[in-house]
Amino acid sequence: MSTAATAGALAAGTAHRAAESPGFLSPTGVEITFLLVGLVTLGAAVVTVTTRQLVHAALWLVVALGGLAVEYLLLTAEFIAWVQVLIYVGSVVVLLLFGLMLTRAPIGRSPDADSGNRPVALAVAVAAAAALVWVVTDAFRTTWIDLDGAPSGTTEVTGAALFQHWVLPFEALSVLLLAALVGAIVLSRKAKNGSEPDTTNAGPSDAAARATGTRRDQEGDR
Amino acid sequence: MTDVLDVALRLLVVFVVFLTFPLLVGQTEHKVMAHMQGRLGPMYAGGFHGWAQLIADGVKFAQKEDVVPAGADRRIFQLAPAVALLPYLLVLLAIPIGPGEGAVGQVLDAGVFFVLAVMGVGVLGSLMAGWASANKFSLLGGLRTAAQLLAYELPMLLTAASVAMAAGTVSLVGILDAFEWWWLPWQITGALVFFVAGLAELQRPPFDMPVADSEIIFGAYTEYTGLRFALFLLAEYAGIVVLCGLTTVLFLGGWHGPWGADGLGWVWTLLKTAVLAFVVIWLRVSYPRLREDQLQKFAWTLLVPLALAQIALTGVVKVVFL
Amino acid sequence: MAPIPGSGLAKGLAVTLRTMTRKSVTAQYPDTQPELPPRSRGVIGLFEENCTVCMLCARECPDWCIYIDSHKETVPPAAPGGRERSRNVLDRFAIDFSLCMYCGICIEVCPFDALFWSPEFEYAETDIRDLTHERDKLREWMWTVPAPPALDAGAEEPKEVAAARKTADKLAAAQAAEPERTAGTEQAAGTQRAGEPGQPGTPRQPGTPGQEGRA
Repeated sequence: MSTAATAGALAAGTAHRAAESPGFLSPTGVEITFLLVGLVTLGAAVVTVTTRQLVHAALWLVVALGGLAVEYLLLTAEFIAWVQVLIYVGSVVVLLLFGLMLTRAPIGRSPDADSGNRPVALAVAVAAAAALVWVVTDAFRTTWIDLDGAPSGTTEVTGAALFQHWVLPFEALSVLLLAALVGAIVLSRKAKNGSEPDTTNAGPSDAAARATGTRRDQEGDR
Repeated sequence: MTDVLDVALRLLVVFVVFLTFPLLVGQTEHKVMAHMQGRLGPMYAGGFHGWAQLIADGVKFAQKEDVVPAGADRRIFQLAPAVALLPYLLVLLAIPIGPGEGAVGQVLDAGVFFVLAVMGVGVLGSLMAGWASANKFSLLGGLRTAAQLLAYELPMLLTAASVAMAAGTVSLVGILDAFEWWWLPWQITGALVFFVAGLAELQRPPFDMPVADSEIIFGAYTEYTGLRFALFLLAEYAGIVVLCGLTTVLFLGGWHGPWGADGLGWVWTLLKTAVLAFVVIWLRVSYPRLREDQLQKFAWTLLVPLALAQIALTGVVKVVFL
Repeated sequence: MAPIPGSGLAKGLAVTLRTMTRKSVTAQYPDTQPELPPRSRGVIGLFEENCTVCMLCARECPDWCIYIDSHKETVPPAAPGGRERSRNVLDRFAIDFSLCMYCGICIEVCPFDALFWSPEFEYAETDIRDLTHERDKLREWMWTVPAPPALDAGAEEPKEVAAARKTADKLAAAQAAEPERTAGTEQAAGTQRAGEPGQPGTPRQPGTPGQEGRA
């Protein structure tokens, strides 16, 4: 059940459908849950970008990402949901918090963390959201999830789709990520050589340690 | 109506297991650790060999004042223990203890992903606690927790992926259904890596740098008192139960056993889990704590390559021999 | 050093496992009394019959924790027409155990074996002032003093025993020379009595050590 479908169903009125199909968790129940979780997610996302407390922003991001995972679940995309939790909540946010704590994570407000680009950011965000909503709505307007057959979001179905129909984009993404990885390493090493030209014969572990230090410096400057 | 009853019953059973098994592990740790050190351990609480020591501890924790430091971030400080504890309750839902759908809280299609994902979330609790305590030692503990999680999540995932490759499914129930006895030698490297990485993720000795008392007092939990502190402790022991159960299911064949797999499968699961829990305690007593840099080195230079080698081996065997 | 990688780790595990299967060394103290070694220094007992109020213990005590009060009494002459004798009578003998450092010098210097080490150790008080124990308490502890441990097999004979035996031998020789005389036997009996105070264990009453103080 896509966003558009839910929106449509909600627009049509949920009351009489609930009466039609009574059950433990009727479709209407799912839709109501979907909407509520969506509101929570949206609220958390808004708070994430508006709060003046850095670590709070990261923690609200957890709520937003977790809410997204729940939405995936409600859309029967179980695999995607757990990967979302594993990658974003379990790793990305932890990395984010790690970086924050390593540099500057004061308790309370940090007014200097606010940038003057608020209106521009808002404009970009609204534009991106509008584009996404328009594209997604247009693309999946008539698509319905078949709940009677095999669930379409299972690991098997997702895996088959990913490695049969979408294997080329998948590989392209892999290469992109690898390139990013290599680029990050190269950049960090270059920065070190630029600042300390006399440490060319440092060992690999030494270099890694220095790279970490350099990154910390950069983050501190930011 | 029977659906509701069934769900309620399953949830209740899982909840009871969640509340009792960590206490059992904790009590076993008290006694086993004591005897391994030539002591007796608790002997008074409850009368017989101090069996009620942890209940007494719980009562004590409940009576203590719940202190929040003045400089702390109040809400996050208070929320952290729940964030640390709840994921393990959720993970327990997905661990099958016997054959069939009757012996698992909830059959999940992507069970392996679910348990690993949710277990990683529990670390957020430690991070929140470390940051919100407004204490430099807590912050250091939180940092170490994060660094440790980042280092050890990867080998855990890789070895779990190896088993998933072997079984051709990421469902825990499916993995158990596909299990054969010779998987044990086949996946032994993966099992060891998974178990060790799990220990590190739970911050159990010898990987307990985030709570190293001689260096940073008690890490992220330094400022906690009373019931909230008890919740963190409960999370640690629930984590042991979950890790041992998970290792049992993924690598040791869960309810499979030399005999009696039909009716007594759950006994096998519990037995294997108990043995693993004993090993967890045993390791704690036997080894000193690693240094933080040794820990990172251990993860990146030993466990990750081993996990990758295990995946390669699994792939080769899977393609060539099966 | 290690021939197989990881053998050190295995050894560590083996040590803890072996310890687990052995009996633990914990003493369940309040439930079972500890088995103290002989000559344990618990508390100081006073056998006041032996005390002559010579004050040596009080003077030698580095902490000045021994209190002794006494007065002099005159006793009538032993034989009619003789001179009256004077005698020291002990009025108070107290040891302040909040000051005592258990050096044992008082016991060492006592020339008449009036002070003894008792293994009794459960005399804690809730007030420091109650730790000054008077002679009745010290006497009570006297009954917990164990008999002295036996001498080593090759050890020299105790001096007093040697002296008593020498006298007895001399007497026996004299008796052999003059068997009809009876005065010799009386003298021998007297000598044997003189040997008795050398045995610290003699005043001990039935009752196991360490029981009286708690009851």
